[in-house]
Amino acid sequence: MNHTLMLMLYLMAMMPLPVFAQQSAQTIPDITGVWERAKDPTAPSSQPAQLKPEYLKEKQRLVQAQSEANAKGAPLATRLMHCQGDGMPGMMGGPFPMEILQSKGQVTIIQEAYTQVRRIYLDAAQKAIDELEPSFFGNSVGLWDGSVLLVDTVGIKPQVLYQNMPHSEQMRIKEKIYFATNEILRDEITIEDPVVLEKPWTFTMSYKRIPNYQMLEYICEGNRYYVDDNGQQKMLPSSALN
Amino acid sequence: MSLLKAFNCLCLMLTLSVVNTALAHHSFAVYDNSRSVTLKGVVTKWQWTNPHAYLELDVKDASGSSKHFVLEGTSINIMIRGGWRSNMIKVGDQVTAIAAPTLNGDSTGLLLEVTLANGEKVEMPIPAGYTFKRTP
Repeated sequence: MNHTLMLMLYLMAMMPLPVFAQQSAQTIPDITGVWERAKDPTAPSSQPAQLKPEYLKEKQRLVQAQSEANAKGAPLATRLMHCQGDGMPGMMGGPFPMEILQSKGQVTIIQEAYTQVRRIYLDAAQKAIDELEPSFFGNSVGLWDGSVLLVDTVGIKPQVLYQNMPHSEQMRIKEKIYFATNEILRDEITIEDPVVLEKPWTFTMSYKRIPNYQMLEYICEGNRYYVDDNGQQKMLPSSALN
Repeated sequence: MSLLKAFNCLCLMLTLSVVNTALAHHSFAVYDNSRSVTLKGVVTKWQWTNPHAYLELDVKDASGSSKHFVLEGTSINIMIRGGWRSNMIKVGDQVTAIAAPTLNGDSTGLLLEVTLANGEKVEMPIPAGYTFKRTP
């Protein structure tokens, strides 16, 4: 064996990882940390959702009823009043801090409000909607396409409404999560729902880091609100809590 | 309380600049945003919880009869980030609260500001709290 070959074997043995693996890892950005909503002037402008006529009427009826009830000082109850959390995609909207954790095969997102947790399984196959039990956060799978995290989510419960938008069990949420600048992390969210929407609805949520912030717990231990027989929110006296 | 003021400014900026935010725990439409009331009384309960904190007071009127008020705050997480701590208020403290009353005139309200037993003023960092007017 000549010296050149020995040197090559020696150098190869010294490499801790194959070169291609190192390059791949280098393109994945570090998004671990705590984030809050941020201004993002260069974000693509968000357009209103275009609902099919029957669903548009349903949404307008709900918004009108809420508006009239609010004007009377007797607001209608919402799901959040029961501390159920936003579900997807509302939990990505803050306004509480949100922690992202990157681990092997998984990205975990924790929304401080209501301690909501979603898990994005990397390089996993998405399940058929029929196979999934509908849930608040659905089933999320993702992959890194260069420095962009692509996420696909299905299986959201029908009663989990985002901005009063009805949706069908066919709803699919697609996300592109990437650094828009060195400081701004952007989530481009596209909702597809061939039953409810005329066309996919895309909007953007952007975030900046909160340095040195430790996430606080959020337990809904003192909820005084309940729904009365008329569907209105009402407050319990303190004696009812103990 | 410059920290609290700075936080309120931040809340305002965030509310104005960010669309597609999540919803609040419940509507604040029960509260009258056109006026406020000032209540000087003794703390009977200080509920430091999520989704919201509650301050309960017994307030004596000019004739000496006492009326009980229940004042709602915001999430304790928002309050902690705004500089509040649970030990700032204790049962038995004499405090002065500024609150937005309910539209239906019952004895509940939205807590906007408290002058603590030690004289320190603390604002409640309610998201969009600027929409509630302070009146004499």
